[in-house]
Amino acid sequence: MTLAGAATTPIRAPRLRRAWRARGRMTAGDRRLALAFAAPAIILVGVLMYYPMIGTFIESLYSVSFINPHPRFVGFANYARILADPVFAEIVRNSLIWTIGVVALQNGFGFAVALLLNHNLPGQGLMRSLVLLPWVLPGVVAAILWRFMYDPQLGLLNSFLISLGLTQTGIAWLANTATALPAAILAAVWKGFPFSTVVYLAGLQSVDREQIEAATIDGAGPWRRLTAVVLPSMRAVIATNLLITTILTFNYFDMIWVLTRGGPEDATHIFPTRIYELGFGQFRFGEAAVYGVFSILVLAGFVAAFLVVQRRQGETG
Amino acid sequence: MKETKPGRDGGVVLPLAGMALGATLAAGLLLGATAARAEDVTLQFWDNQQTESGLSQYQKEAVKRFEAENPGIKVDVTTVPYPEYQQRLLTAVQGGNAPDVSTVDQIWQAAFAEAGAIVPLGDRAKSAGMTESQFFKGAWDSANYKGQLWGIPFNVDVWFFAYTNDALFHAAGVDPASVTTWEGLSAAAPKLTDAAKGKYAIGLFAHKGEDTVVVMDSFIYSNGGSVLDANGKCALDQKPAVDALRYMASLKPYAPRGINNAASGDMRELFLNGSLAMELWPALEQPTLQKTHLDWDFVTGFAPQGKTPVGTYGGWNLVIYKQSKHQDAAWKFIHFLTRPDVNGDVVDLIPANVEAAKTFLQQHRKHPEAIMRHLDNARARPLSPRYLEVSDIEVKLAQDVFSGQDPQAAAKTACAAIDQLASP
Repeated sequence: MTLAGAATTPIRAPRLRRAWRARGRMTAGDRRLALAFAAPAIILVGVLMYYPMIGTFIESLYSVSFINPHPRFVGFANYARILADPVFAEIVRNSLIWTIGVVALQNGFGFAVALLLNHNLPGQGLMRSLVLLPWVLPGVVAAILWRFMYDPQLGLLNSFLISLGLTQTGIAWLANTATALPAAILAAVWKGFPFSTVVYLAGLQSVDREQIEAATIDGAGPWRRLTAVVLPSMRAVIATNLLITTILTFNYFDMIWVLTRGGPEDATHIFPTRIYELGFGQFRFGEAAVYGVFSILVLAGFVAAFLVVQRRQGETG
Repeated sequence: MKETKPGRDGGVVLPLAGMALGATLAAGLLLGATAARAEDVTLQFWDNQQTESGLSQYQKEAVKRFEAENPGIKVDVTTVPYPEYQQRLLTAVQGGNAPDVSTVDQIWQAAFAEAGAIVPLGDRAKSAGMTESQFFKGAWDSANYKGQLWGIPFNVDVWFFAYTNDALFHAAGVDPASVTTWEGLSAAAPKLTDAAKGKYAIGLFAHKGEDTVVVMDSFIYSNGGSVLDANGKCALDQKPAVDALRYMASLKPYAPRGINNAASGDMRELFLNGSLAMELWPALEQPTLQKTHLDWDFVTGFAPQGKTPVGTYGGWNLVIYKQSKHQDAAWKFIHFLTRPDVNGDVVDLIPANVEAAKTFLQQHRKHPEAIMRHLDNARARPLSPRYLEVSDIEVKLAQDVFSGQDPQAAAKTACAAIDQLASP
């Protein structure tokens, strides 16, 4: 089933109500049996997901590092210290720019490519396979590739710009605080856009052809057909894709870590890279946990938004 | 009248035989159990690999020798690539799955000791006749923390040697020996640089990495400066350190662009393809260069006229973990690995045992005497459980300086941050 298909078959409210009514008719034995069947899944989710999250929150309330293995309860002191640290503000700013930048460009570019691939062009099968290539590359490999691309001395990007006469010498894209984050965003968009393309292509192929033909007969041009027919039909797919890519991008670690390790001067640090640096680079587990809690809260917000969108799709679909 | 118990006549032998049999079985079981226990001692040894020297294979061969000398002790060697080593070791220690013995970076040792993850080795070393004089002083110092010995130096190296592409020097009419002084280097750098042709004098780097710190420290040490003073206070804003930072910044026009995201590895690529006249690396770079067709040599760092270049120590110590159930066997293994006749066969840097190092350098490295002098003259980085935070601040300092900030102001900011740490 395509993602678009999945998005259009939610659990409807009447079905839920029927399920609740059915619950009322269950005997105590049935309920125990149902609980027994559900218990492994509940325990698994609890142990694998919620226990680490709760553990992270508890750890954030303690002064704990590798060199202080006996945790000391400090309440929200770690939070106060981190909120007062200018690095935190920079990481929030970077994370916002990074997430919005990557999601917007990845989805915009991904949709444009999906529109192209949706036409019956010669070599379409090959093109679809080639477009997928960046996505199937391991993240670290893609990051190393882009590190070479951006190399100030040997990089392809600089050679290209020099050959066009746009610059005399190679630009150190990743060494400059002004250009490092945009450069990382571009690399991440290249890596991630095939995901959006695949999802949008599936969505485009599920758009009702008759509606498009009707719009064409009514005299609508390509732009009008896109905005009046295709995009409204794909609203659910677009919303779902935006939310998924937002969550994935916010958590994206390896691209930035390989390109810059969060540098120069913290100019590309985002939540995951900062957590790694504090925890494994400096053995400061308590402070890493605070960043982890903030990450969980942001992601919980995204998940809540995702659920709201899904419910609305269910109500309108 | 003697009481005769039933069956006594024929039964004298049987109980005795039974007892003998029982005793034999018990002894057999005991011996078997003892032998089984002895054979069950399997040490977990972790090390990391920084070069392409086939270290893992060498260590496995040495382990066979150790096992032959110490029946009943087996050793499992795990060799982890350097970039992953810190995380894997830390996760294992925190998770209660630490190996019995491992190497730890000199700069981690104080933290491991402070955390109670490793055990002191002073008494064992004393009993085994191990003394400071058998090892490089800087390496021995790095194994001591709060008056106790926590590790045995395993291997060492020194940042940095300036490797020279002599073909480029001769083409520019510059004597490679002239760059050992700051004045000579300043004079040579413009002659060795032609940015339009992609040729540069020196490979500087300031990415987020420890190689940034050790090179900067060496500039500072060579000008008589320090990172911390005798009282543990930051000394980076003192004149010798600030002058060294200013000098480093003056070399920026003669280095490839992108210093603040460049690593020593990036500069190596440029050096190997003939774009760079000098790269800064420890002695472990020599095996790589020996495989090339470059006309290469090296000088032992840079210092102002009249001063001697001072390098920054790097290297690894062997430690025993508190979680280890086989600490006696682990100590035997450490003693074995640091013996003069073994140490050179099991390291990919330079053996920390001085006697082993002399033999190793004679066999494997160019200009062994120069390397020995540079090792003897090198200084360790600050021995602090919070060194990694100090290091992070130093990286930022280097990036500030190469970004064009005033070195005095940048150093003042760095010192404020370092002195804020509770126990730098």
